[in-house]
Amino acid sequence: MSIKPKAAFFSFTCCEGCQLMILSCEKELPSILEHIEIVNFREAMTERSEDYQAAFIEGSVSKREEIKKLKKIREKAKVVVALGACSAIGGLNCLKNRFQMDYLRKEVYGQDGLKFKAFETIPARPIDSIIHVDYYIHGCPIPKKEFLSVLTSLLMGSVPRIVNHPVCVDCKIAGNICVFEKGLTCLGPITRAGCDAVCITYGCVCWGCRGPVDDPNTAAHKETLLRHGLSADDVSLALSLYGAHKTKTTSKN
Amino acid sequence: MDKDIEYRFLTHAGFRKFISCLIDGFVVYGTIKKDGFPAFGPITDSKDLVLARTPTHLSAKEFFFPQREALLEFDMASGSHSPIVESRDQVVIGAHPCDLAGLGLMDRVFSTGSTDVNYLARRERTLIIGADCMPDDYCFCESLGTETIDKGFDLFLTEIKSGLLVSIGSEKGEAILSKYTKPLPPKDVHLRESAKALEKKKRSFKARLSAPKEELPGIYAKSDAHPVWEKIGAICYGCGSCNNVCPTCYCFDVKDEVTPDLSGGERVRVWDGCTLEEFAKVAGDHNFRRSRADRLRHRFNRKFRYLSDKFNSLFCVGCGRCSRTCLVKINITEVTNELIRDARTEDEYLGVPAAARKG
Repeated sequence: MSIKPKAAFFSFTCCEGCQLMILSCEKELPSILEHIEIVNFREAMTERSEDYQAAFIEGSVSKREEIKKLKKIREKAKVVVALGACSAIGGLNCLKNRFQMDYLRKEVYGQDGLKFKAFETIPARPIDSIIHVDYYIHGCPIPKKEFLSVLTSLLMGSVPRIVNHPVCVDCKIAGNICVFEKGLTCLGPITRAGCDAVCITYGCVCWGCRGPVDDPNTAAHKETLLRHGLSADDVSLALSLYGAHKTKTTSKN
Repeated sequence: MDKDIEYRFLTHAGFRKFISCLIDGFVVYGTIKKDGFPAFGPITDSKDLVLARTPTHLSAKEFFFPQREALLEFDMASGSHSPIVESRDQVVIGAHPCDLAGLGLMDRVFSTGSTDVNYLARRERTLIIGADCMPDDYCFCESLGTETIDKGFDLFLTEIKSGLLVSIGSEKGEAILSKYTKPLPPKDVHLRESAKALEKKKRSFKARLSAPKEELPGIYAKSDAHPVWEKIGAICYGCGSCNNVCPTCYCFDVKDEVTPDLSGGERVRVWDGCTLEEFAKVAGDHNFRRSRADRLRHRFNRKFRYLSDKFNSLFCVGCGRCSRTCLVKINITEVTNELIRDARTEDEYLGVPAAARKG
């Protein structure tokens, strides 16, 4: 019996929904635990260890102390996997980067928010703006299927396959009628698939939670969105919901 | 009307009864309305079936070459594997002549060289009931001679006022029709009405190619450096929608899916498309067709030139789905007509007499 590789799961700024997705792999977890030992998992266990080979990191970086913590994890881990939108592309947290801190403090904590500095934060960012990331599992939250596929690939010693085609592929394969034909708009044509286009299948549109494909034709998509009735501001907002880190929209307040 | 084809007549009520009987005996797929648009879907009630006049969203290829299918299962402890060939008795209703022509091409692809048992098993166990159509703004099948078809179906339906004229395409089709219904011989008035509908259809095409189909491989052969590729490459997403909706795009990717206990798994194939960035990417991240322009040129050439070199047949059936689905409005007839126009201009410039032009 060989020694099992040790895996640690870490949370940074996020809702911890990606850890929850892993916990909801109830059917698969017993099999997974035959092959790895989990040494850190805040949502599921009390024990902690600093001895691990693989680090799975959810959440974006939005506090100074997180930078230090992240660098320490990188030093210890042989493999770092970004889990979910916040970690991989910055995610929703980066929306705050579009505003002045004082405005946000007041908005969130009321007038008193301006009086104290206990919640000092820095502009939110994906973890790869601080450390090198070996593999990405995208989504808000991550799909179980993708987590299991990346994990089994790593255990098999093969390179995980990270999808690099737009959501349109998954959407056509799912047999969906294009939301643009239904008079709506979405970010599917420039967003990385791998989600089976679940949002569209269940009647919503794609908001781009998995971030752009490697080579998105964003200029063409802006034109398409404008042609389908969105204003330039609408387009900018649509692109910055999950992509605020990349779109770098200038501060308005 | 085709003199070699036998016809039967069914009333609307008789047709619905026939569909209900098919549902009892087979897995039935057919044309439905999905979010208000024509699409293929499962038919579990004869009312589900809505014969579509214009092309469905996806073609009928998914019933023979599904989006995703397991090819084999493997066991890692023993190192053994066994093939998976899934098929069942099914009926596909409502495929238009272009789709039937597309299937005919797929048959050739999957039975040439190393035969594809998965595709052929499904083909063998499927009863195909075609249906007639009317062109929309994108249909250009008439330019490719696929607006009518006399083979590739078991039965073929033409809706007329009083019911349906049914063309018999195979013994299997005739047997099943006679088993479940009492079809009548058609009256002359039925045949005349059907012939009139066909005339109307032929007059209704808005999209047309401006050269005979025989000239197209030659025209494409001299269009590699045409500026249209860069023009459409600049607006293309590389989203693969044109590949996925195409009735003759048959490329697939193969991957192994390992179970979480690492004991085994399945080798699956999924649809792939030559307009996707990863399609021609190889080891070391080298990509044979890095730009979208290169990938589009490749796809268009596959339809009008490369495969005709191999199979002596164009691989576009004129369904217009790629143009219809394209969000940036890359249009296969417009692009081809641009190439035709410039190829002809070039011939005139070189002084080649019209009669001697190869296209």
